[in-house]
Amino acid sequence: MQAEAMPITLPKWVKPVYYAVVGLLALVGIVAVIVRLVYGMKVTALTSPIPWGMWVAIYIYFIGLSAGSFLMSTLVYVFGMHRYEKVGRMALLSALFALFGGMLFIWIDLGHPERFWFIFTRWNPTSVLAWECFFYLFYIVAILCELWFLMRCDLASLAESETGFKRIIYHWLALGFRCPKTSFEWQRCHAQSMKVVRTIGIIGIPIAIGVHGGTGAIFAVVAARPYWYTPLFPVIFLVSALASGAALMAFLYAFFGKRDEDYPEIVKGMANFALLFLTIDMLLMGAEFLVGLYGRIPEHVEVYRQILFGPFPYTFWLGQLFFGTILPVTLVSWQRTRQSVFWLGVAGLSAVVGIVAVRLNLVIPALVVPVLKGLDKAFFQPRWSFHYFPSFWEWASTVGLIALIVLGFSVAYEFLPMFGIVEEKFSGGER
Amino acid sequence: MAIEKMQTEEKQQVGRRAILEKIASAVFASLVAPAVLRETAEAATVTETQQTSPTPQLPELPPPQPNEDPLIRMMRDLQRALKKPVEQRRWVMVIDLRKCVGCKACTVACIVENKLPPSVVYRPVLEEEIGKYPRVTRKFLPRPCMQCDNPPCTPVCPVKATWKRPDGIVVIDYEACIGCRYCITACPYGARSFDFGDYYTEGTPEIAPVEKAPSFEYHRTWERKGNESPIGNARKCHFCLHRIERGLLPQCVTTCIGRATYFGDANDPDSLVSELINKPNVMRLKEELGTEPKVYYLV
Repeated sequence: MQAEAMPITLPKWVKPVYYAVVGLLALVGIVAVIVRLVYGMKVTALTSPIPWGMWVAIYIYFIGLSAGSFLMSTLVYVFGMHRYEKVGRMALLSALFALFGGMLFIWIDLGHPERFWFIFTRWNPTSVLAWECFFYLFYIVAILCELWFLMRCDLASLAESETGFKRIIYHWLALGFRCPKTSFEWQRCHAQSMKVVRTIGIIGIPIAIGVHGGTGAIFAVVAARPYWYTPLFPVIFLVSALASGAALMAFLYAFFGKRDEDYPEIVKGMANFALLFLTIDMLLMGAEFLVGLYGRIPEHVEVYRQILFGPFPYTFWLGQLFFGTILPVTLVSWQRTRQSVFWLGVAGLSAVVGIVAVRLNLVIPALVVPVLKGLDKAFFQPRWSFHYFPSFWEWASTVGLIALIVLGFSVAYEFLPMFGIVEEKFSGGER
Repeated sequence: MAIEKMQTEEKQQVGRRAILEKIASAVFASLVAPAVLRETAEAATVTETQQTSPTPQLPELPPPQPNEDPLIRMMRDLQRALKKPVEQRRWVMVIDLRKCVGCKACTVACIVENKLPPSVVYRPVLEEEIGKYPRVTRKFLPRPCMQCDNPPCTPVCPVKATWKRPDGIVVIDYEACIGCRYCITACPYGARSFDFGDYYTEGTPEIAPVEKAPSFEYHRTWERKGNESPIGNARKCHFCLHRIERGLLPQCVTTCIGRATYFGDANDPDSLVSELINKPNVMRLKEELGTEPKVYYLV
């Protein structure tokens, strides 16, 4: 199965090299997190006026990726688009790992990480952030339940067919579930699983919207910052989450999907979804920019000036505009590239990378503009600076933790039955 | 609502302690003499209003005189306010921009009083140049925490670690704050800072002992070591709560060389601040946001 799932064209040495590189980076990430926990927040380049930086941007990036992936999975399990069936488990798995990533990043961003559980014991109902943490909890449970019901038959059969260490793991993951042996009973079991998955999926849709729309609302409710304080903000979060989810699926399926007769159609479908959401995202962003600039409120206009012509213009022009929008939109719509699965995969990757820049620009520029005129020249200390560029340890931990999440996803992807094995056995002849 | 609940809890705790003290003092007094009973009962009621201070010794003031220093007058106002229950006080600050010379003594005094690290400043002074040579002047705007009546920073806290006290001061519970910094982004005045745990003399052979000295905010002793609170917390100006509840004016008021900063109880019509803020030349910052600041500027 694995040989089929991996790209056929890749030479044999790629896989060990990939694992070595990602593993090494993950190790760097773990070291960076230890350094951050021992030395505290002073290892960051954050300042009092710019208290949220790269970690928060990556946090909302991962939450968006997670919500987007999850909503892509509901296409299959709730809305019955069964031609994308084979993306379903992959989407749920990436939703799970992306959520872990998001929680990891917001956890290391806390001034007192050891107190994170206060969110549940001292929960404040007026805080959007507090609500979000509950949403994340529900959301993890929903994804785990869905994945288990989808895979339980495959896990149980793998627990029987595999040997040694793998057998124990599969046995544990199946939670003692035993799959029926006959085709008829399996049909019933499968129908039951799908019903449960559909129900959880339906419940999951508002949760996923709450998870990312709510993450946007964390910013949108801050009346002190005109750039954040717009009703479109949570909507933009959601749409770009859907775009990043669809793009991730296009990328993953193009390069690591199952090469069968459905393969090109699935990649095309995912890329088209990415195109749709990227276009809506562009429209909304355009509206924000134009209305914001036309309003001429100094603090609002200054944020756009910072984004377009500030100290880091390439975040917008190169990251957000070129990699996040123009390149993927062109690759998916141009006649010559849209027929090639490879280029559609590249388009997906480009959007997934470009949306990191979108997230950076959603968080940091709003904080660069002083809330009071002259506040930036009132107190001269490095930690009272209105300029922010991530420190070495921020870079190390960001790259390293992303590698850790990618590593976890890769291992899970290789290890777990991503495409129904038992299903193929029983329904293979019917197709 | 939740904040109110916390406050009542706090009051209940204080109430319990006060009751125990009253019982103890009553038992003791009934053994000694009825005359002492009255005194101890009085002491107990004072404790109740002081919340955490067991024996508040208010400074002795000279008898009132005409044209006395406003600092003395404000201390008299302060002592009068402290005799009232905490929820009947309404602490306000008044800053006369015509008198401020921009010496920033208040900024420095505050840093010394609260042992603030380089990332934290409670009261910076904002400067603005007005006009062109030869008609040029500078405007100085000290900016403490506005102690808003509708603070935007408290509802966003995910763990109820910050709230408005009955006397209107917005406080932070360092032991509860998880350091997410949401409140810092929510303040329209930039009045909250984050304690990153740096020192001014970091990188020199020795960190100056004065920087490691404990601060006494919120009637507690906060040692600076490791990653312990207040390191890793949001921090803000609290009108020197630990000073005012012992009858001292906030450090920035005491230190102001031009007597440009005033402090007192706005619920007391006889106080100096009441006299100053009920005039047409008063303004507050960003009133359009509905935050209802309790820092008034005279222009």
